[in-house]
Amino acid sequence: MSNAHFPVLSLIIFLPLLGAIAVALSRNIRLAKSLTLLFAALELIATLVVVQLFNAEGNGFQLVEQQQWIPSLNIAYLLGIDGISVLFLPMSALLTLMAIIATWNSVQQLTRFHFALLLALEGITIGVFVALDMVLFLLFWELTLPPIFFLIGLWGIGSARRSAAIKYTMFMLFGGVPILFAIILLAVNHASVTGGSIPQDLAFSLPVLLATTVPDSLQALVFLLLLLGFAVKAPLVPFHTWLPTVAMEGPTQLTALLTGLKLGAFGIIRFAMPLAPSAAVQYSWVLGIFGAITLVYSALIALQQTNLRRLLAYASVSHVGLVIVGIASLNMQGIQGAIFQLLNFTMISGSLMLVAGFIQHRLGSTEVIHLGGLAKVMPRLGCFYFLFMLASIGLPGTSGFPAELLLLVSTLLAHPSISIAVLIGAILGAAYMLSFTRRAFFGPITQASVQQIQDLRPRELTLLCVSALIILGVGFFPNSVLRTNQVAAEAWLNRLMDQSVLENKKLAEPLQQQ
Amino acid sequence: MDALVILIPLMPLVAAMVIGLGHLFGAIDGEAGESLSADIASWAISMSCLLSLALLGADFLGKNAGSYMIGHWLNSDTLDIPFSFITSGFNVHLAALFSVLLAIIIRFSINYMHREAGYHRFFFILSLFSSAMLLLVLSGNVVLTFVGWEVAGLCSYFLIAYAYDRPVAVLNATRVFVTNRIGDAGLMLGAGFSFAWVGSVNWNTINAAAAQLTSGEATSLALCFAVAAFAKSAQLPFTPWLARAMEGPTPSSAVFYGAVMVHAGVFLVILLRPIFEQAPLAMALVALVGLLTAVYSFVIGLTQTDVKSSLIFATSGQLGLMYLECGLGFWQLAGWHLCAHAAVRSYQFLTAPSLMHNERCLNSEFPTRNIPAWLYVASLQRFWLDPIVDWALVKPVRGLAHDLSYFDDHVIDCMMGAPAPAIRAISSLAQLEEQRIGAQLDNDSDQFAQGSGLAGKITQWMAAILHWFEERFVLRGIGKDAINYGRDLGHIANKFEQAVLRPRYLVLFVLITLLVAF
Repeated sequence: MSNAHFPVLSLIIFLPLLGAIAVALSRNIRLAKSLTLLFAALELIATLVVVQLFNAEGNGFQLVEQQQWIPSLNIAYLLGIDGISVLFLPMSALLTLMAIIATWNSVQQLTRFHFALLLALEGITIGVFVALDMVLFLLFWELTLPPIFFLIGLWGIGSARRSAAIKYTMFMLFGGVPILFAIILLAVNHASVTGGSIPQDLAFSLPVLLATTVPDSLQALVFLLLLLGFAVKAPLVPFHTWLPTVAMEGPTQLTALLTGLKLGAFGIIRFAMPLAPSAAVQYSWVLGIFGAITLVYSALIALQQTNLRRLLAYASVSHVGLVIVGIASLNMQGIQGAIFQLLNFTMISGSLMLVAGFIQHRLGSTEVIHLGGLAKVMPRLGCFYFLFMLASIGLPGTSGFPAELLLLVSTLLAHPSISIAVLIGAILGAAYMLSFTRRAFFGPITQASVQQIQDLRPRELTLLCVSALIILGVGFFPNSVLRTNQVAAEAWLNRLMDQSVLENKKLAEPLQQQ
Repeated sequence: MDALVILIPLMPLVAAMVIGLGHLFGAIDGEAGESLSADIASWAISMSCLLSLALLGADFLGKNAGSYMIGHWLNSDTLDIPFSFITSGFNVHLAALFSVLLAIIIRFSINYMHREAGYHRFFFILSLFSSAMLLLVLSGNVVLTFVGWEVAGLCSYFLIAYAYDRPVAVLNATRVFVTNRIGDAGLMLGAGFSFAWVGSVNWNTINAAAAQLTSGEATSLALCFAVAAFAKSAQLPFTPWLARAMEGPTPSSAVFYGAVMVHAGVFLVILLRPIFEQAPLAMALVALVGLLTAVYSFVIGLTQTDVKSSLIFATSGQLGLMYLECGLGFWQLAGWHLCAHAAVRSYQFLTAPSLMHNERCLNSEFPTRNIPAWLYVASLQRFWLDPIVDWALVKPVRGLAHDLSYFDDHVIDCMMGAPAPAIRAISSLAQLEEQRIGAQLDNDSDQFAQGSGLAGKITQWMAAILHWFEERFVLRGIGKDAINYGRDLGHIANKFEQAVLRPRYLVLFVLITLLVAF
């Protein structure tokens, strides 16, 4: 692990944080806005540079940076990326930039603080994606809470926004505890396996922990703890209730970030499965069933929703279920499809939520009785809404389709019974999206306020064009994304499967001796 | 000549994109732009028509290799989905026929749609549909066929909802799309199964491997594709969607439900002939469904009073006959039937609007006199198929969704609990007003924290105990009670620790942990 190269990963973490400070300190609102835009754009460029530097053929973690942090506990400042995480960086940067541009004029109070928090959140989120030390990861993980707390509580659009902010924070703190436990268990296990003493030989770095063997009983415990922690953030049923609340009460730009960046599912792929490989293989069916339940359950609830933001929240939960089903099938199509789908939803869910924000900003509501006939008065917004909605259903030509195809194939190969849930989810997905669209966008105009509504402004149009281009481009050429994560996904899968092969041998040996 | 095949679906796609983008950004708009978008659409479809005729000619002369590939669309492990096309045989014949019909219908619509609202939208959708349909028939693998299949379904949705300010049109469009989605799920499942069992999604490979499949595998594969075909061709039990689809403009009805799209199902079955021949059960099912649909459509067709409805039931009846022919093994006949029917029916649909002018004595022969009364009622009600599906499928799903939504809001959310802040800050003017009136928003001053739900209540009780502890021991200083309490507590803790550290308890705890963990 050389430190010879320029610390570009640190740069992409600290650039937005620096930007946040600069924005918060600037006197003038106009200056603050341009600074925000400048920093967000620079960040996007920097993350694209990281993608350029990343070598898709290379094995293991790349662009690794290591510094001593707390030497007495062996905690280091360790950053690195691999094929699984690399594309999340530009996607988060792009989505944040979009959220900033979308709220350019709509945030009137405490504008500087708002933009500073968005930038800070961006830096911290990037930190979650690149941290390779478990403690550092947990630090970033928990640090996402304060900005989100304030963003929901101060600029939320519902009347119960403060309660929602507390609810969100409570849920996330609850989720953080099992993760912390699992991390400590793993560190202590490393010390005991290597035969070292407790404070000096603890290990918190992911590459080291991946190389440490973990006893089976502990693996199961660690896996379930990590799964619990990440399930809250993902969110999986029954820990999902914070998302609809936040979607209703929080500001749409933040909800776009929360539904777009599915950190929980990323955590399961990155930490929960590889750190406890044999338990992951053993309990993959639990994961699959959880995913299937989440998928169908929230799709059914979404069928009943009358508010676009709540609908999108439940749709997002349902999509997480699909991703989890894919992860649980433990084959190449599954893991590649899962990563693909997560990347997709950065754009699709994020853009849909921003569209909901535009409607909310114009009409003060996204409730279906206040809408009706939107397509007539806002043809451009309707057009983009349709494209994103169809992508979310998984229509061919959009990026949703290859991901859904991969996930379906993977479940068919691994758990054919669960693939029924995937198909039902696909049918219900079309049903809930289209029946909402029917009531909100089609039909006669019933409200006077809808009659006078303004279509997309050029700024908003450009914004949606960018994400539409990405969605269509990736839909036509999915290999561009799959090639990036192929090597990493293979390594990920081999790690899990090798471990379980060893297990089987161990189980088989005593039988043979008899 | 094989390379031409790429351009055939590509030209209408480009036309659709040009019209769509031009209309979106205001470059093609209003009556002035009508001739432009009509020109783009008709030129593109004429070009692909000529190309497909050239391909057909080359096929007759035997100059085509049979398949053509231009790279890979998606690779994941062993799953390899190429951009591949079939350039010979039935696919090319059908592509030529369809492109000619599409060109005629687009030419017809230029005048028919003149000064209609949404003129440009119509041509955008029609071009997209042409592209999807040509892709569907020419594609060399299941996934690309599915792309065409699904995009054609989407275009059908858009055209049924063409007059989107009419609630009925939109309701029907949604219903049709969701019904079709069931068939799409079948096709997707078929794609997945063929990858799982054959290891490839190429039509040629699947058909070549048909003999190696076990009869169970062949039957499941055939059934998946049969469900997809039934949904697309409006066979029983999916037939009612076809009548709902009559909302769109006449040319679109002609092209979707008369000439082109409904035939995709039959095309799929004919394409998969080797698989179906391995699966007698699926063949029997196809024949049965075809026969039933033919009878059903005939009976219902007797009582239809408008041109489009009677034409559409005639169409589904003919399609039923095609399935019957397939199921009985007359593949060649079914293929010819398909082509002939497509040509005749598109002519009938296109002349339907002017039928009243041409035929003056239409009502003189109304063929519904001699049928029994019960059949007459059943026919009028279309055998109650729609209400039955509503009752058996839509309502239960809606009800389940309703119950689950209630469950989610009132049980799960409450279980998880929503924290109520101790300091009830006023977050809206309404709350301020309420407080002024005297609503007791913050009178639980003696309770430091309160929560709802299981987790919330437990937290609240814990907080109360700790609060008591804090008040008793820390805030009031160390009184005489405190020392005694502390001693007793220490004593108990010591005893507990000793007990816990005894070997048998230790083993018990480890066992419990293991039990929980496994």
